Amino acid sequence: MADRNADRASGGGASLTASLTIDGERVPFAPGETILQVARRAGAWIPTLCYDPRLEPAGACRTCLVEIDGWRRLAPACATPAAADMVVTTRSDRIARHHKTLLSLYMTDHVADRDACETGAPCELHALADRVGAATDWPRMEPVRAGRPDDRNAFIEFRPDRCILCARCTRYCAEVEAVSAITLAGRGSHTTITTADAASLVDTTCEMCGGCIDTCPTGAMTEKIPLREHAPPDRLLDKVRTTCNYCGVGCQLDLNVDRAAHGGRGRVVKVTSPPPGTPPNDGNLCVKGRFAYQFIEHPDRLTRPLVRDAGGSLRETSWEDALARAAAGLRGVADRHGADALGFVSSSRCTMEENYLMQKLARAVFGTNNVHQCAAT
Amino acid sequence: MATDRDKRAEILDRVRALGGLTPGVARQVARDTGVAEAEVFGAASFYHLLAEPDVRVRVCTGLSCELAGAGDVLARARAAGWPVGTCACLAACDRAPAVLHGRDTLAGIRPDDVDRAAGDWRALASSAVPERDWRGDVGPAGAPADRLACDLLGEPDWSGSAFARAAQLGPDAVIAEIDRAGLQGRGGAGFPAAVKWKSVRSQPDGDRFVVLNADEGEPGTFKDRELLLRRPDKVLEGLAIAAAAVGARDVYLYVRGEFGAPWRSLERAIARFAASGALADTRFHLHAGHGAYICGEETALLEALEGKRGMPRLKPPFPTEVGLWGRPTLIHNVETIACVPAIVQRGGDWFRALGKTGPGTKLYCISGHVRRPGTYELPLGVTVDELAAAAGGYVGELRAFSPGGASSGFLPARLRDTPLDFRALADAGSMLGSAGVVVLNDTADVVAAVANQLRFFEAESCGQCAPCRIGTRFLRQALDRFRAGAGRGAALAQVADVAWQMNEGSICGLGQAAPLPLVSALRHFPEEFADG
Ligand code: SF4
Ligand code: SF4
Ligand code: SF4
Ligand code: FES
Repeated sequence: MADRNADRASGGGASLTASLTIDGERVPFAPGETILQVARRAGAWIPTLCYDPRLEPAGACRTCLVEIDGWRRLAPACATPAAADMVVTTRSDRIARHHKTLLSLYMTDHVADRDACETGAPCELHALADRVGAATDWPRMEPVRAGRPDDRNAFIEFRPDRCILCARCTRYCAEVEAVSAITLAGRGSHTTITTADAASLVDTTCEMCGGCIDTCPTGAMTEKIPLREHAPPDRLLDKVRTTCNYCGVGCQLDLNVDRAAHGGRGRVVKVTSPPPGTPPNDGNLCVKGRFAYQFIEHPDRLTRPLVRDAGGSLRETSWEDALARAAAGLRGVADRHGADALGFVSSSRCTMEENYLMQKLARAVFGTNNVHQCAAT
Repeated sequence: MATDRDKRAEILDRVRALGGLTPGVARQVARDTGVAEAEVFGAASFYHLLAEPDVRVRVCTGLSCELAGAGDVLARARAAGWPVGTCACLAACDRAPAVLHGRDTLAGIRPDDVDRAAGDWRALASSAVPERDWRGDVGPAGAPADRLACDLLGEPDWSGSAFARAAQLGPDAVIAEIDRAGLQGRGGAGFPAAVKWKSVRSQPDGDRFVVLNADEGEPGTFKDRELLLRRPDKVLEGLAIAAAAVGARDVYLYVRGEFGAPWRSLERAIARFAASGALADTRFHLHAGHGAYICGEETALLEALEGKRGMPRLKPPFPTEVGLWGRPTLIHNVETIACVPAIVQRGGDWFRALGKTGPGTKLYCISGHVRRPGTYELPLGVTVDELAAAAGGYVGELRAFSPGGASSGFLPARLRDTPLDFRALADAGSMLGSAGVVVLNDTADVVAAVANQLRFFEAESCGQCAPCRIGTRFLRQALDRFRAGAGRGAALAQVADVAWQMNEGSICGLGQAAPLPLVSALRHFPEEFADG
């Protein structure tokens, strides 16, 4: 883990002590870097499908193969360490044929229609197949991968016809979440992604972090809610970067907004995470950040201040009025019983600044140390 | 106390002990070992002997068994309502058709044998080869023992004299003899053994291991079975010599799950040496496979030993540097290691001179259309005609032969003079591989034989990398379409591109070689694929 992060930081701070040649250009690199890392920094185009910078390279999807002088076989750039004076070729007839035939083969085993494929999530495979000119007229595979259609979990759907078995989801679950709720199972063309005994995710150790969805390149692992509620294809959504307000970590997340919904008022249809490498959460989220966004549209949500009338029922009012009523109430208690009769509890959904102000209010304004925040318990 | 590593290594055996992967078993093993439940499930589901607990009888679908009528046996067993399934080559091609019963191979099963069992699969027995610890035909008869490295007909020698001689010589001199012998790996790749020994020996201090690859599964190959049954002394002594030479104490013997009888033979041999104390410095660990051809690939085998899915690792790094549990590891095929005692006893030059076009003798397996299918130890580089002569001659006219298992494709009778050695066969676009020769005569259907092997590769691909996982299936479907009457142009248009991709893109030798049956047949038997 530590090493991997060191790798990822290299090129920025680490010293570039040796160099190799990529497509005729001399490129320096730091010890521990892979060919892929060095080549991408140098601007070379090497496609990948099973690579995720947060994970140990698997070298299994085979898209990133490059030529290395003196090596008879093509080598996976994602998993091959850079070595001094290596001569690497990323563009050649051989590589072009490789990209084309590999992607043609992948497409025989994948949902052919791009729009149909991309319901609910974008598909890197289609994008790549288009880019390398993969054949679309090869005979198609009979589908064999088993799914788990009866999984009653509320959030995560696995669609086996879109899966390319890159194992990003299972490696993510094991390496980043340290949960290992899902696994590659079976063998050969029957290999699929499943849980022990194909149980529902809710009957496993799954934490519903949704990281498997985030890392999946094809939308095979995807969100149930937008699928069920007919979200438009991903490319028609606006992504609005924001900070998760469920806790103090400050994870960055992207609200995916369907601008056309609700007669143009717009609607958040799902939450995705920014690319790995984005601080502080590196593309990771927890169940709340990723899935608990439907409160935005919930009818019970408070969007205006309410105060109780004489009869005790709540009615809408202005902010000025509400604040004045709250201040009067607090002051009244302090006057009658002393400041220590008051206690202030703030929410972990408040920002650090808001929490800071809350304790200032308690200590400096009212003069009590009775202040607490729910994340402290 | 068992370490996490040891507990992980046990999970597959524990699933086996609980009767295979029935619901709840993964959870139970997870509870007992601390390994995540999904990991247990994922690993066990890879191995068909664990993943299909309800199948009790498996009929071999290998080419030689198919030629000998395995299809009828299967049909009869199905009709009888048995819990029957199929499996890949059982390494019993010389006594085809073969059936796996539990973990024992029953050889020479005829459809009548199914009928004789009268509805009870437990009562199945072969009328042709009744014993469970049967041995096949070996030869050549009358060859002098000092011309044979493996000497299958020789009396087992429990004295440990070769090991004692190696101890006298010391590691460097032993490795020098192996080098001088020119011993090449006999599992398929033909890699020089001495290079591996030197590499493991030269690794920095720390644990290192020797691993025996007894996962014999290449269709048409059964020589390791004979060695384990007849000369386990040579195998264990070779392992002990290798361990001492590279500085290892622990030797892991990975024995194919379908090898009940060879397993028992090894158990007896280990006990025998333990009693005599002749190989006292070596600790032998027997480890059962659970049904996956790909675990014959050395790095997949290491994964299996570690209790994981048998998916080959990326190379480099090679096992000699990063092997079992990340430690330097010497892995050899059974036959390679069995050559070692004789080399130590008689010298590298002796071994080298035994061969015709390459160093040493070689255990050739021959099955299909020959009179006495079996295992014959002959000079490296004999031709298929010479081999067939040792096996009593052809049945019918030679039409095609597969020189080294399914991975070697098919060659036409016209190439009958090609020496069966590593180089000449590679030059002919094939390979010696495991030297499991299957002979097809003029009555055989070459296209059906190709289809058989394509089905084999599709079933046995580990599924890790796309070129092989999708490619094996693609080629099998394409040939099915051709056989169903679609013209060559329509059915086989993409074969060249797919085969190219599988060869260039696959991680391991399985995917790289899997197109060869079809590609070689298209090349050498174009008339079989003519439109019309
Ligand atoms: S949601 Fe998180 S914990 Fe659950 S399977 Fe996906 S990656 Fe694993
Ligand atoms: S579900 Fe997605 S991430 Fe997981 S293996 Fe399939 S394609 Fe890869
Ligand atoms: S080539 Fe086939 S068997 Fe080898 S790693 Fe790839 S999928 Fe597995
Ligand atoms: S990205 Fe390198 S093999 Fe998948």
